[in-house]
Amino acid sequence: MNCEEATKLMDGYLDGELDPITSQTIEQHLRECHNCDQAYKTHGSLIRAIGNATPYFKAPAALRERIQSSLRQEIAKEPVRNVVEDFPPLFPTGQRRTVPSVIPWNWLALAAAIIFAAIITFNLMPRLQRPGSDQFLATQLIASHARSLMANHLTDVASSDQHTVKPWLDAKLDFAPPVVDLSSEGFPLIGGRLDYLDNRAVAALVYERRKHFINLFVWPAASEAAKAPKTITRQGYQLLHWADSDFNYWAVSDVNPNDLQTFKQQFEVRTPHH
Amino acid sequence: MAAPLKADYAFDTEDLESSAKIVKFAVLKKHQEQDAAQERELASFEETMLPHMDAAHNLAKWLLRDEEDARDVVQEAYLRAFKSFGGFYGSNGRAWLLTIVRNTSYTLLKKNRAVDLTTTFDEEIHASGHESVSPATLLERSEDADLVREAMDKLPVDFREILVLRHLEGLSYNEIADIAQIPPGTVMSRLARARGKLKECLAARIGKEK
Repeated sequence: MNCEEATKLMDGYLDGELDPITSQTIEQHLRECHNCDQAYKTHGSLIRAIGNATPYFKAPAALRERIQSSLRQEIAKEPVRNVVEDFPPLFPTGQRRTVPSVIPWNWLALAAAIIFAAIITFNLMPRLQRPGSDQFLATQLIASHARSLMANHLTDVASSDQHTVKPWLDAKLDFAPPVVDLSSEGFPLIGGRLDYLDNRAVAALVYERRKHFINLFVWPAASEAAKAPKTITRQGYQLLHWADSDFNYWAVSDVNPNDLQTFKQQFEVRTPHH
Repeated sequence: MAAPLKADYAFDTEDLESSAKIVKFAVLKKHQEQDAAQERELASFEETMLPHMDAAHNLAKWLLRDEEDARDVVQEAYLRAFKSFGGFYGSNGRAWLLTIVRNTSYTLLKKNRAVDLTTTFDEEIHASGHESVSPATLLERSEDADLVREAMDKLPVDFREILVLRHLEGLSYNEIADIAQIPPGTVMSRLARARGKLKECLAARIGKEK
C-alpha cells in the first residue's frame, strides 16, 4: 500500500469500518511510514475533539407534548370504517337476491359467533399471558438505565481507572465483579454504581460510547444460567445478555446494536478467564 | 339494517332473532375493538419511536439551522412515521425515523428554495489565510463548541448530515448509506471530504480572529 491509498482509506480505518484485511494492510503501512502515521494521529485526535465539541440539540420537552397530542388527534380524526363492509361478502352481489334470505342469517350467526370468539380471545389472552422472567428483568434493566441517566446518579464512584472502581465495588458487594477500562477500544470507563435488580445488589459499570452511555450490570451467575448471548430491543434501547462461568452480564444502552456487540467482544477479550 | 330485515321475516324461528342480536352486539364490539386496536398501535409506536426524539430533533436542527423549522419537521416526521408504522418490522427504529426526518427536512429545504443545497462556503475559506493555523492550534480550538458549530453551519447540507450521523449518532456506514440514500461505497469518501472541509472552515475562522 502506498501513501495515497492509505490517505484515501484513513477515515474508514479511523471509524473501524474497513474489512480486517485492509485494516491490517493500513496498520502495516502506518508502522512503516512515519509521515502517514503522524497524519493519521493528528487527524484522529482532531476528529475526536470536533466530535466531542459538536453541540447535540436535544428535543425540548414541549415538542414531546406537541407530538403526542398531534398523534392522538390523528387517531381521533381517522374515520371509523363502515363496519358492515368489514364482513366478508357472503355471496357475490349478483346472486344475493336469488338465495333464500334465511340462509344468510344463519351464515351471519356463524360469522358473528366466530367474531365473538375472536374478540373474547383477543381481549383475554394478553391478561392470561404472564410476562416471562426475562421480559420482566428487561423492564427493570431499562428502568434502571434510564433512571441512572435522568437523576444525575450515573456513578457512585466516578473514575476511568479500573483500579479505583473495582476495589470500591468489591468492598460494597458480596462478590468481585470484573472491571476493565476499554478506552483504547472506544468505550472509556466512566465509573461504577451499586444497583438493585432481580432481588439482589448488583454492580453497574458505566461506559461511554461517543455521546451515549452503556450500563453494564453484573452479578453472580446461577449455576444453570443460560450461556447463549441474547439480544432484546425495547423502547428503543438495546439489551445484550451474556454469561460466563461466574457472572451474568446485561449491557443496556441506546447505542446501535453493532456497537453493543463490539463492546461485549472487547469486554470478554479483556476479562481474565476463570 | 338489521331491524327491517327482522320485521320482514318475523315469522321465522326464535333462533333467527337471537342471531340478529348477536350480530348487533358484534358490530358494537367491533367498533370498540377498532378503537382499542388503534390505541394499542399508538402505544407500541410511542414505545418504539419516542426515545429517538432527541436524535430526530438534533438531525433536523442541524439540517435546517432553525429551531421552529426543526420542531415542525420532527412533528411532521412523527406523523408520517405513525402512518406507515404498520410497514415497519425492523429493529432499528432510530435509523428508520431518521430517514423520515431527513426526507421531510429536504422537502422543506427544497420548498424554501434554500441556497443551502448548493455550496456556499468557498469564498470565505479562500479569502482568509488559514494555511497559517498550526495543527496544534487547530486541535486546541476545536474543543470550542461555538466555533465548531459556526464552522459546521458553513458546510453544505449533505456534509452537515453525514457529520451529524457519524459524530453525534455514531451510526455505521451502512446505516448512514440507508439514511442519506447514497451507495455504501460513497459514505467513506463523502465523510472524508466533509471532515476535510470542516477542518478548513475551522482553520479559516481561527485565521480570521487573528
